[in-house]
Amino acid sequence: MSLLVLMIVLPLLTAFLLSSIDRLSTFAARVMGPLVLLATAAIGLSVWPQLGDAPLAVQWGGFQAPLGITLYADQFGLLFALAMTIGTLLLWPRSTENQLRSSSLALLLAGTGSGLALSGDLFNIYVFYELMTVVSYGLIASRGTSGSFASTLRYLVISGFGAALALAGIALVYQATGTLNLAQLAQLAPEKLNNLQGFAAFVLMLVGFGVKAELFPVNMWVPEVYATASSRVSALLAGVVSKLALLIIMRLLILVFHQPEALTVLLVLGILGVVSGELAAWRARDLNRMLAFSSIGQLGVMFIALSIPGNAGIFAALAVMVHHLFLKPSMFLLAERWGGSIKGLAGAAKTSPLGAALFVLLSLSLIGVPPLPGFWAKLLVIMPLLALDQPLYYFAAFVILAAASLEANYLFRVVMKLYEKEPAATPHNAHATLDLATAVFLGAGLVAAVFMLIPLADRLDGIAAQASDVSTYIQTVAPQPLQSGGVQ
Amino acid sequence: MRRFTAALFLLGLGVMIAAIYQHIDFSNTAVNAGQAINAVAAEETGAANFVTSVVLAYRGIDTLLELTILFTAAMIGGMVLGRRRVDAPRDPDAGFILRTGADLLFPLLLVVGLYIILHGHLTPGGGFQGGVILAAAFFLPLLARPGITLIDQRVVSLVEGLAGATFIIIGLLAMFDGKEFLTPLLDKGELGALISAGTLPILYLAVGIKVGSELAGLLAHLAEAEALD
Amino acid sequence: MDILDNNTILYIAAFGLMLIGISGIVISNHLMRIIFGIALLEAGANLLLLLSTYHEGASAPIIVADNIPTMMADPVPQALVLTAIVIGVGILALALSLAIRVQRAYGTLDMREVRLKLEQEISDEAGIDMPSSSEKPDDIAKVPLNSVVQQESGS
Repeated sequence: MSLLVLMIVLPLLTAFLLSSIDRLSTFAARVMGPLVLLATAAIGLSVWPQLGDAPLAVQWGGFQAPLGITLYADQFGLLFALAMTIGTLLLWPRSTENQLRSSSLALLLAGTGSGLALSGDLFNIYVFYELMTVVSYGLIASRGTSGSFASTLRYLVISGFGAALALAGIALVYQATGTLNLAQLAQLAPEKLNNLQGFAAFVLMLVGFGVKAELFPVNMWVPEVYATASSRVSALLAGVVSKLALLIIMRLLILVFHQPEALTVLLVLGILGVVSGELAAWRARDLNRMLAFSSIGQLGVMFIALSIPGNAGIFAALAVMVHHLFLKPSMFLLAERWGGSIKGLAGAAKTSPLGAALFVLLSLSLIGVPPLPGFWAKLLVIMPLLALDQPLYYFAAFVILAAASLEANYLFRVVMKLYEKEPAATPHNAHATLDLATAVFLGAGLVAAVFMLIPLADRLDGIAAQASDVSTYIQTVAPQPLQSGGVQ
Repeated sequence: MRRFTAALFLLGLGVMIAAIYQHIDFSNTAVNAGQAINAVAAEETGAANFVTSVVLAYRGIDTLLELTILFTAAMIGGMVLGRRRVDAPRDPDAGFILRTGADLLFPLLLVVGLYIILHGHLTPGGGFQGGVILAAAFFLPLLARPGITLIDQRVVSLVEGLAGATFIIIGLLAMFDGKEFLTPLLDKGELGALISAGTLPILYLAVGIKVGSELAGLLAHLAEAEALD
Repeated sequence: MDILDNNTILYIAAFGLMLIGISGIVISNHLMRIIFGIALLEAGANLLLLLSTYHEGASAPIIVADNIPTMMADPVPQALVLTAIVIGVGILALALSLAIRVQRAYGTLDMREVRLKLEQEISDEAGIDMPSSSEKPDDIAKVPLNSVVQQESGS
């Protein structure tokens, strides 16, 4: 028995009961959600140290793998489960109209996100992913404007399309192997999925799970949603939820799909994502959409990192993911009060000097100016790209560098406006204290990382090594071999 | 031009699917997790219907999550559609046949729904199928008499919350027992008897009530949505 | 006929449903048709899942009166499809609720018009002129599927 399942189950239970609790006491319903998330975060943190030595496999319902559903916890998965829980806690949605429903949705998001990060079963991943998608529809629509409804509907269309494709991919995998357990799939994949059928399944699932990871062809929803949702929801979606989708793709790549073509697909889509995202961000004229497009670009860099074969790629992708995890939510929080045209931001540094200074720091790290963490993360991607010594990988490295100069251009355009002497005609709003405090907290984490660079890199390298260790995964889950026709 | 691109894309997709289909290997379909479950399910769960064993025991967490998806969808549906204005126009009253039919069918649908839920571990059917029938029972009067308040949304939200919580709490009880979450408890009983398979029928009852209340709530919300001009 | 055994017919049905669904999503502009396209695509995917371990002549995986059939169908895809169908219903209901609200707000369910009005609303809120068509981020549309959806709304 492991308490880890409580990270998933307790938020769900609370979400179910929240409206009943609200009828008894409004105050209790208000504090209940954050308290439960604190408790589940504590559970996760208490399990963290023991996972360093050996990952943990829990069988839901106590049935032997591969018959039941496996929960597989290594530090890689738990890191993102914790990021989801703590991220939701920091970015707890505040909505005057739909507070109760928003709280329920936030709890559901934290629970499902943790489950998605820890799941070890293909179909279970699909169900968690779908639940997370539905919850994010709710969070986006909870703003209640007609724009948020329209963007949710357009997002739903793309997501529904992707999810159905992912389901077809799962069908192909089950057809070929007869199992859904990731550990068993890792055993069977070299023999049964190393063919066209396996590749088709990979592409279908990549498109399906790529919707949330802002993968190049299925990311039209990004600018609309991030511009119409509330800033906290945008921060959650761009910062944490997109990383979870990426984590699923990473897991599938490590364990199941080993075709070299799969890596090429990722590389090409990643490059296209970087180019399209950064160019669109460069053209954007309001901060929210600029950040949304630039997040497509950053996710593209992560896909490029994933396409590097071997451990170096996982390490690089993990480093960029963790960097982005801290950076993007705080940028969206700062954009909360700076919505609207970038021209209108002139002189905003006067009203909120701390926010403007933080924005400069975050921008520098995003561009990759040493010694900030963003520089080291990008270095980790570019070095192995060059070491591979292949034209397409050289091109990818060039694209990342060119994108950095574009990023510098458009972010400095914002910074120049912020520090302009002539204030804009309309007065600027100062940031809400809580938003600013959260953003400063995340920014402080970024600065602290500068001083702990070596131990941090070691730690991430260890996590990446554990994540890419297929044989440990198989041994920990220990699925029973399937026998031909039990009953026949 | 657009249609041409679309047609080209679909043609390419068709060719791709045909190519993949050529490579699908149909020879090994007897070796899979499902056949392994068929071999041990009767012994491990005590349910005569193995699909029920998979839905509630082997893949019980999936079922909990799909209930949560319905819960979330119903909640968001309520949020999106909002309250109707008091003076909003209503659909016209249904005719005599539909009204009488709804009255006659209401008790029958309740009985059939409950029967299907309670026999879910023995025969085809179960919480989802029965729950849908229960929802239909509550939705039919709404169609027959638009504007009737047969179901109070607050009661619905209470019932659905409690039913979902019951599912989770049964799962948590196993943890208090030192087992994994959602491990079936209680005596498995005799295979094929109505009272058998331990906690599975109780879980299915919770599923049925939850599905019924979610769908009834969702349909009521959609029916309540103001008619478009 | 050799090519048209039961398996082939069933697979053609599954892939055919998926293709019809995708055509609905790609070709039409009306949101209702797109939503139904998704439903069809899902139905095709579900059928594909059911077919993954389909065996002709296998009986239902239910034991009746201790009579254990010689070959039972694989219960896993059945359970998975049950889950997938319920998920699909939830999302369909949600899509319809959103469509009602979008229709009420924008007075249209045409994907192109909805997109234009959405752009307009975002730009108004941001206090900038709506980007003219030349300035639209066309770069994100280069893959066939995407370009179609993009053109739907752009042209």
